[in-house]
Amino acid sequence: MSFSVMLTMLTEGFLVSLQIFLFTLLGAVPLGVAVALARMSRIAPVRWIVRVYISIMRGTPLMLQMFAIYFAPYYVFGIQLTPDSKWQATIVAFIVNYAAYFAEIYRSGLQSIPRGQIEAAEVLGYARAQTFCYIVLPQVVKRILPAMGNEIITLVKDTSLAFSIGVAEMFSTAKALVASQVSMVPFAIAAAFYWVFNFLVEIVLGAVEKRLDYYHD
Amino acid sequence: MTEYVMSLAGARKAFGANEVLRGVTLEVSPGEVVAIIGPSGGGKSTLLRCATLLETLDGGSLAFGDLTVAHDEAGRTVYAKGDALKAARSRFGLVFQNYNLFPHRTVLQNIADAPRRVQKRDRAEAEREARELIAKMGLAGCEDKVPCQLSGGQQQRVSIARALALHPEVLFFDEPTSALDPELTAEVLRVIKSLAAEHMTMVIVTHEMSFAREVADRVVFLDGGQIVEEGPAEQVIDRPREARTKAFLSRLAD
Repeated sequence: MSFSVMLTMLTEGFLVSLQIFLFTLLGAVPLGVAVALARMSRIAPVRWIVRVYISIMRGTPLMLQMFAIYFAPYYVFGIQLTPDSKWQATIVAFIVNYAAYFAEIYRSGLQSIPRGQIEAAEVLGYARAQTFCYIVLPQVVKRILPAMGNEIITLVKDTSLAFSIGVAEMFSTAKALVASQVSMVPFAIAAAFYWVFNFLVEIVLGAVEKRLDYYHD
Repeated sequence: MTEYVMSLAGARKAFGANEVLRGVTLEVSPGEVVAIIGPSGGGKSTLLRCATLLETLDGGSLAFGDLTVAHDEAGRTVYAKGDALKAARSRFGLVFQNYNLFPHRTVLQNIADAPRRVQKRDRAEAEREARELIAKMGLAGCEDKVPCQLSGGQQQRVSIARALALHPEVLFFDEPTSALDPELTAEVLRVIKSLAAEHMTMVIVTHEMSFAREVADRVVFLDGGQIVEEGPAEQVIDRPREARTKAFLSRLAD
């Protein structure tokens, strides 16, 4: 098999990895906001439930969570699994797992905004939602950017975990090629894909950080 | 009742077992400048925080003009509904000790944003008025700077402009110069004096006795959660009658 054929196959796999990455961000970034707010809720039972959720998501392997979400519909509800089930379970598992991590990062950002600014907004007559959207949130974005960068880069590499459940993303393809071609080259190509993509992620994050560099507290 | 811009009657507030306000009555007439002095822990800041709805009273009543915010029912304060509180917030402004400007917004945005978003005023009109206030505060040229590019004195003047932009009937100051060195203190005090000359109604918690004497129509000495002595500035500061006032002022003079 020629190098270019391997490259084509790995590119196809990479597009699947990219989809996992994008769907996870699209779902987990907003879901994390809801989780963070619930984690800081004034209603104690809501706080407890969310603490347990975060604890399980962070305390067990994502790989096991994928299996649990994949098999739960069958074992708990008796629903027949379809060929799409693996893909759906992967996306759901990634979103709920990453939302837990994002939520804790958001919480650290939210709690770092000085109380005095929120009081100033209150005295000026801003509604709570206005204070959150116009005063708190823009500052939180700047403060959490480095921590979010870590998580986003980890997510790029974590997409390879979908291999364990049988989703044909790039790592699965690479492993199959290594076995069939008796060559380590597919692994090297996959590594290059991950690294180049993360390098682009770093450039984007750097640009956003620079854009928000016009002020400091 | 309605002749006062703000009236606080029999205000009581405790944090746990610590009674911070023990029946304080303070009425402010239109155009009056009231200075509140007293030792730390005497209840000055809590008084301002209760008057500006940042804290809730345990007992007593609070009104801004004809608008009753809270009334006393058998020794317990009962607050009005959200709409009344919202209406009350448009009647007063508060200047904090540490300015509490929004660091991610420019000077112009800090001042013009609340008139637009809270009072739903036209953007161009809000910005035009904000520019006027900026000039009046001696900050012309700073419109597009962010707070971190300004000195403490400039930041405090922005925060005064931010409060004035909403056309409050009374402006509260919580130790507005405590975070500033003497030179910067002077420029902030100059601005407050010019507001007093325009008959802006103000309640100022301060440690600057000479300033209080100069600008205030009335000085209130607050200690142990109660008003110990009040009266014209010269009288309270220069010829205090109460022993506690004398002791406090002589400690400051040392």
